[in-house]
Amino acid sequence: MSNEIWQTWHSKATSPRVAGALALLLMLLIAPTLRGQSPAQADAQSNAQTDAIEPESISPVPVFTMGTGFITQFEGGTPNLDPLISPIFLIPLGQNWLIESRDTFESDLAPVPGEPGYKGVLDKEVDYLQVDYIANPYLTVTVGRYLTPFGIFNERLYPIWIRDLQSDPLILPIATGPSGAGTGAMLRGGFDAAPGIEINYATYFSTLSTINRIDSDRAAGMRAGIYLPGPRLEVGGSFQHLLQDDRSNAFGFHFAWQPTPLPLDIRAEYARSHNGSGYWIETAYRLSQAPVWTSALRHVQVVGRMQQFYTGTVVDPDLPTVNTNMFEFGLNYYFRDDFRFVSSYGRQFAFQGNQNVWTLGLTYRLAMPLGDGDMQ
Amino acid sequence: MTLRGGLLAGILIAATALLAISGGVTAQDGGSAAHSVNVANAALTAPAAKAASAAANSNAAVKSPVAAAAKPQDDESLTIEGEKRFHANCGRCHQAPQKFPPRMMATIVRHMRVRATITDDDMRLILRYMTQ
Repeated sequence: MSNEIWQTWHSKATSPRVAGALALLLMLLIAPTLRGQSPAQADAQSNAQTDAIEPESISPVPVFTMGTGFITQFEGGTPNLDPLISPIFLIPLGQNWLIESRDTFESDLAPVPGEPGYKGVLDKEVDYLQVDYIANPYLTVTVGRYLTPFGIFNERLYPIWIRDLQSDPLILPIATGPSGAGTGAMLRGGFDAAPGIEINYATYFSTLSTINRIDSDRAAGMRAGIYLPGPRLEVGGSFQHLLQDDRSNAFGFHFAWQPTPLPLDIRAEYARSHNGSGYWIETAYRLSQAPVWTSALRHVQVVGRMQQFYTGTVVDPDLPTVNTNMFEFGLNYYFRDDFRFVSSYGRQFAFQGNQNVWTLGLTYRLAMPLGDGDMQ
Repeated sequence: MTLRGGLLAGILIAATALLAISGGVTAQDGGSAAHSVNVANAALTAPAAKAASAAANSNAAVKSPVAAAAKPQDDESLTIEGEKRFHANCGRCHQAPQKFPPRMMATIVRHMRVRATITDDDMRLILRYMTQ
């Protein structure tokens, strides 16, 4: 979008009337879908498809799904408004193919000193656009633009409707870069190594791309993990070798545990490269077992995260420039599994100055079939 | 966007939230998910568990453990095993989602097989559970 068009659009968008109209449009878009996906209806649909459906007999249909949210972030006292829409298309072909894409349209609106209102630019990014071929139970071949499988946050936890805290971990850019994606090919899969032990892996090669919105580095890497379904415990490691510039290496480890008796998630990552090193550890607890006010508290989730970052020998503009410590505390309320209110408070400690980070917002995930979703 | 506009937007989105509440709350959130797993574990009797386990670990000989189910009790045990794997795998990253129509569910499970590198058996059993 050119500057002129953006400024014209922005001048219109800053009026309360237009903002209200956009919000009304968003509400009209969301509300019928929320009601359309009510559990009662979903159950009715499921009940209509009773008993004898074998998975092999189900012909998949293209699906459109979208994550959207409106996050307000106060960083060091400065408010930022962050609306985001992230549409996803899933197009299955036959029994073994899948074309999938995710784009992100995001704006960071902030006040400009001496000028009224909030201003910002619309960022557009192709997160992934890939073709998957399920070759056999152990191997899937992926070609195109894909999310870099380094650690677990970038590939699994990044979408705003999934993440429990809306701010990115400090170490996220290590090995994933600003775009978080690679362009090339990837081999991946998961299989049972023994009863109760699953192995998952991903190995990839990415070529250099300087094309705007689909940029990537030339690199190769892999990630492997062991998942124990019984205790719901996963540990794994990642490695990446940059095939350009200083040809540096990066490595990391990840850990995830959901103890079966408790609605508790514990996740952690460590990453290290010449740009720096650090870790984050996060716990999220759903108050569904609270002895009092159960019907209300079962929708509430409390989250805590602790992280530290240490600078490396080469400065990366996407990473903190000084050693930084940060803790965050979050409180989320799930209206439904796909619609929630999120909030958090964090305190960042750094040599250049400490600051508070507050977030408030709503996140929503929409999903609908592009065709008849029921069996014929 | 002025603060007034933002406030108006917030009120309207809050109204959306109220509409969502009036639409009901899914029973498959975190707490009931854990409860469901416990129930599933309790309900998975020894013979049924054996059948499910045998089916789940026989992908080399039988391409689909689901296809191997011929008896009603096997159907039930596979569905219970599917629920167990659904909560174990899907809950690793996000709140367990609701059920969708079968053809839509087949696409989503295929997507998650790639994204979350779940196993072939997990995919089939989860799809079976989510379409029953």
